Amino acid sequence: MPTWQLRLLRGRPGSPPRLETYRVELPAEAYLIDAVEKIWAEQDRSLLFRHACHHASCGACGVRVNGRERLMCITPLREFSPDRAIQVEPLRHFPWLGDLLVDVSPMMQWMAEIGFAIIRRDELTADRPLPGGIEQGTRFEDCIECGLCLSACPVMAADEAYLGPAALAAIERMLAEPRDGDTARLLALADDPHGAWRCHSAMECTAACPSNVDPASAIGRLRRRLIVEKFRRWIGGGR
Amino acid sequence: MKEASRWKRAGGWVDLRGRREGGLAFLLMRLTGIGLVIYLFIHLYVLRLLAQGPEAWDAFIAMAKSPLFLALDGLLILGILYHALNGVRVTLLGLGIGVPHQARLFWGVMTLTLLMTAVAVYAIFAITG
Amino acid sequence: MWIWQAFTGLLLLILLTLHMVFNHFVVEGGLRTYQDVVAYLSHPVVFAWEILFLVVVTAHALMGVRAIILDLGIGPGTDRWLKRGLTLLGLVMIGYGVWLSWLVRSRGV
Repeated sequence: MPTWQLRLLRGRPGSPPRLETYRVELPAEAYLIDAVEKIWAEQDRSLLFRHACHHASCGACGVRVNGRERLMCITPLREFSPDRAIQVEPLRHFPWLGDLLVDVSPMMQWMAEIGFAIIRRDELTADRPLPGGIEQGTRFEDCIECGLCLSACPVMAADEAYLGPAALAAIERMLAEPRDGDTARLLALADDPHGAWRCHSAMECTAACPSNVDPASAIGRLRRRLIVEKFRRWIGGGR
Repeated sequence: MKEASRWKRAGGWVDLRGRREGGLAFLLMRLTGIGLVIYLFIHLYVLRLLAQGPEAWDAFIAMAKSPLFLALDGLLILGILYHALNGVRVTLLGLGIGVPHQARLFWGVMTLTLLMTAVAVYAIFAITG
Repeated sequence: MWIWQAFTGLLLLILLTLHMVFNHFVVEGGLRTYQDVVAYLSHPVVFAWEILFLVVVTAHALMGVRAIILDLGIGPGTDRWLKRGLTLLGLVMIGYGVWLSWLVRSRGV
């Protein structure tokens, strides 16, 4: 069984963080989350990190692996070589709580404010017969609120007021299926210098997203909608 | 991270670690943009020589034909071409058009920029030479 | 603001291309002597074209500056002053350019 080297960012707020190397023995079929959990279980119980579902549906275990935003639970160890350390750091652009843990509440507050659609009708099984006893298929929304896109976005680096890719994609999603929601409020939220117009199309959100949300395209659609609304107001003097 | 100083955060857009083609395209867009704004100011300032009359202007033109100046013109054209071509790319992407092809579009922009700059530099030295 | 940045940017593709062609690919040697410049600006269409280019390029450049400063996370209060300052700067730049072009043009007409 190969021995893996993990270089984890360690520390607590108040003093500068440091990188520490750990060695764990695990089969190549294991995932990065298994390695971090093993370090926590066998070597250092003070290690802070978030995890829950282990299959990319809870969005808790987002970190930066060798600089790139990834979910630890779907990052296979076989991607790496046992000869070189795998560097694991917390997400950027969130308040740091210690070790691999960040405070994602700034993002969650926006998501709650937008009224994020969690469940939708399942278009994938719409024309297929459902098993007995099940009346309707529902599908969980793609975004798992992991925050990888916010960490990857260069605009998030300094602009704390920027809504960010996840929230903008959520607004676009709500507008597509408002279900009696307040679309005017959502449009006003997006139509702000620190809203949809702050994006500079660095495309890192869509590249980082582990769940096919494609926030960059969503922001583009949102802008098209805002432009149409502006134009309508301009030529029509309101509705 | 909140602990990072405001200045360090402010420079975050320069940090290319963990970023891909799109992030590089954005950084280059911003650097060429800053460069072109500075050039615009210099350009307007130099044009004041026109108000001073023929001697001042024609002396400057003679100097502008030196190889160093012409090489700087090449650099200027490189910056303009990248900013213009990537500007078209970013306008489309910003409206949600072509997002799945953004990396390929970036390399297309880079190739066109370099090819067109090479042609322009050749033309500069051919015309003035 | 993004819309205006894109719109002026697309205009500049045409304006700047012709600015370069007019100034460097028409006269022998690629750079205009003083007499060339005076003759060039004396043409009313060229004069209007260069002024339009000046206005659009100034707007595009200063909107770009505002975008960079907005990215530093400034609040609405600072942004209001930023907009005023950049508008003033833009007017000074355009005013200077129009004055200079007019002065040079008047020596030829």
